[in-house]
Amino acid sequence: MEKTYILENGLLERYVLGELSKVENQQIEAALNKYPELKTELEAIETSFETLAIENAIDVPTSVKPELLKNISNATSKVVSISSQNTLRPYLKITAGIAAVFCIGLIYMFTQLNATKKQLRVVEEENTKLNRNIENLNNYLMETNKWYVAINDPDVQKYVLKGNALMPEATVISYVNDAKKSVVINTKRLPKLDADHDYQMWADVEGEMINMGIIDRNKDMLAMNYIDNTESLNITIEPAGGNDHPTVSQLITNVYLK
Amino acid sequence: MSDDKALILKLQSKDETALGLIYDKYSAALYGVIIRICKDEDIAKNLLQDTFMTIWEKSQNYDFDKGRFYTWAYRIAKNKTLNFLRKTDRLIQVEDLSVYTNRTEEVADKLDYLKLKGTIKRLDAHHQRAIELVYFNGLTHREAHEEMNVPLGTFKSYIKQALKQLQQSYIKIVAFLMILIEVMR
Repeated sequence: MEKTYILENGLLERYVLGELSKVENQQIEAALNKYPELKTELEAIETSFETLAIENAIDVPTSVKPELLKNISNATSKVVSISSQNTLRPYLKITAGIAAVFCIGLIYMFTQLNATKKQLRVVEEENTKLNRNIENLNNYLMETNKWYVAINDPDVQKYVLKGNALMPEATVISYVNDAKKSVVINTKRLPKLDADHDYQMWADVEGEMINMGIIDRNKDMLAMNYIDNTESLNITIEPAGGNDHPTVSQLITNVYLK
Repeated sequence: MSDDKALILKLQSKDETALGLIYDKYSAALYGVIIRICKDEDIAKNLLQDTFMTIWEKSQNYDFDKGRFYTWAYRIAKNKTLNFLRKTDRLIQVEDLSVYTNRTEEVADKLDYLKLKGTIKRLDAHHQRAIELVYFNGLTHREAHEEMNVPLGTFKSYIKQALKQLQQSYIKIVAFLMILIEVMR
């Protein structure tokens, strides 16, 4: 019988439940020997049913066990009475029984221990992962805090640079602090440029454009050079790496400071 | 599940202590199956004893390669119970059918403790019913799908899905216990 046929027709379940004919049973057993995956699946089905039965077990009236053992002794005593004259035998049996129970117990404890160790290792790995996460979050928090402090200063003036006809979708927010002599800009809404070009920021001081720095394409928030007596802020598109003088035809936005 | 192999080998060499231990381990689970099929305590006690007599006599027939020991024992218990019911069913049907149906309902009411419990209660109602029919009522897939009035293919998938869900909940429970053990140490 084919593996997929057996799996798709629920034959393993019916095999466990004892619903199959003798011939079908033999076919399943042959297939089990041939395909180890089937054996794993069978084991899972059996364990599920067995656990189900254990969860739904019902206490047996205590009279059944002694009666059963008596019946069995009667049934076997004829054979036993002739062969076993050794009085040590029952004690050996009891000792062996106890030893067997201990053995089973030990094996059980051992597998339990191994499973627990494995579990512990998983938990430790999780822990390292979590710690790393916390570290990342802390770094992120510190970074955010730094920007928050920088733009939340009472001395800060906020200027919004809206894109001109060349790039109407661009928006840059700048925070100028004349007391602390700092300029911070938010470039989240600035469209990405190709690898050959960079945005560059300029300060207009008495008609002269002074370089405030190249805008880092990988950051959303960044500090630029503060220039004294700036009359307006300007952003141009320049060849990658920046330019000494602004290419005025590539000016995309500017704003006058109050 | 611990390794019973040594114990079962002892049983196969006709060790009565081993039978006692196996009885302690499996009797309540098997009794739960038998009494749910026959719904009568006295009959169930006899059938359980009969089942263990067969386990004792036929233990040589159990083959480790063909599945778990409990599965083998379950099949014996279920067959004995169904055979017994088939024999008596015929007698009762000849006498008076109505008496029989009334009686089962009455008994089923009395035997409230036969209701299923544990993880299975967390499954959808139709999954619970499917498992109950084949496992605790002794119906075959063919009988059970008619009883539930769904196509056989659908019924098979009910059983498959139900088993998968049971298996997953058991894994969760075991994992939870492991963590609990870990925490207590």
